[in-house]
Amino acid sequence: MTSTDEELVARSIGGDAESFNQLILRWERPIYALAYRTIGREEDARDVCQETFLRAFRALPGFRGQAKFSSWLYRIALNLCRDWIRRERRTGFVQPPEDTDLMDLIAAEEPSESIEDLVARKDQIRAIERVMARLPEEQRTAIVLKEYHGLTFQEIADLMGCPLSTVKTRLYQGLSVLRRELAKTQADPKGPALRT
Amino acid sequence: MTDLTCRYTGDREQAIVSYLYGDAGDFDRGAFEAHLAGCDRCTTELAAFADVRVALGAWSPPRFEAGPAATVDWAGSRPPAVASRASWREIPLWAQTAAALLCLGIGAGIANFDVQYGADGLRIRTGWSAAPAAVVESTAPQAAGRNGETVDSAPWRAELTALEQRLRADIRQTSAAAPASADPGDLRRVRSLVEDSERRQQRELALRLAEAMRDLNAQRQEDLVRIDRNIGAMQSSTGREMLRQRSEMLNYVTVRTASQRGQ
Repeated sequence: MTSTDEELVARSIGGDAESFNQLILRWERPIYALAYRTIGREEDARDVCQETFLRAFRALPGFRGQAKFSSWLYRIALNLCRDWIRRERRTGFVQPPEDTDLMDLIAAEEPSESIEDLVARKDQIRAIERVMARLPEEQRTAIVLKEYHGLTFQEIADLMGCPLSTVKTRLYQGLSVLRRELAKTQADPKGPALRT
Repeated sequence: MTDLTCRYTGDREQAIVSYLYGDAGDFDRGAFEAHLAGCDRCTTELAAFADVRVALGAWSPPRFEAGPAATVDWAGSRPPAVASRASWREIPLWAQTAAALLCLGIGAGIANFDVQYGADGLRIRTGWSAAPAAVVESTAPQAAGRNGETVDSAPWRAELTALEQRLRADIRQTSAAAPASADPGDLRRVRSLVEDSERRQQRELALRLAEAMRDLNAQRQEDLVRIDRNIGAMQSSTGREMLRQRSEMLNYVTVRTASQRGQ
């Protein structure tokens, strides 16, 4: 039977390292994905991911279950991402190295895809990355948490420390920018087809 | 023509986002759906946002090699960094001193550390190249010839030399044995990494080739369009010239005919 996060947390606090390893296996990938989409650098996202679990491990005795473990973890990761952005003095994230991650992306995800489809998909991903990079951090984070992590508006509001209506406004503004910018690529045959 | 005025009475942005993500909060879904039936602006915007969401679905992070966080040693209840510092402090002082002396001894042995005390005072010499046995042999008669008393005859020196030789032999043995003790699991992993890398390179090459072909085709299309346009322009100018010549000929014939009639 699979243990819940809360059970694993309780056992980890009691000194069971294996339980904490299970929590890592369960949440490592989402945390890494969140960090990657927020800061845009593979290596740094890995560092943020590792640091998130390290901090969680250190702070575990103080975790009283007032929030879900995943929300708590997301909050640590988002704070680290924010620190990273501040430290790097970047308003947005940086384009990832072209010759590694994109190739990994397309080669790893759909090995049976034709080369033409791969080229089209790669162009589409580049366009999305470019536009996401230009979004203000708050809008980008709201979109990432909603689109890729399926958090509720209330959970996002709690994580970002803002009212629920602000989350919706940020989403609306972010989606509007994405719609406008991605539509510009329509003129380019490589761009994704979007309604304007 | 599409009517782009929206008469929704509530907060339009909030409603659109709530409807888009299926929010079941205090949002009045029924009322908004009724509004949507007659509002082109909201319908268009919702459809466009839905397309954006589909496009966003294509964006995924690079492949995640399992375990950047799991590689940390989580064993024990204390955080790893704190645990490693604490474990060093927990070693008793006598053991730390013994370890330090051992390190010093090994270092001195490896560095051919040579201490001599004679008529000309204390001499300390180190050297990496000189063989230890040769040093003992060459320095002993010299020192004995001067005053008959030398530290080379001290028993610790012979022990140190023996220790050094033993260490050298151990190091040689270890370095000779290292390749043979390579873990077959490591070899498999290295081989798999090399194969992955080759596959990725092949795929990248194919992708670059496809991109080059696409650029070539685009350029060819562009050239064809340009040629077509030039031919059209030429045909048009040729046509105009022919028309001009024809009207000139007609004028000429008309004038000739009229003048002949006049005659």
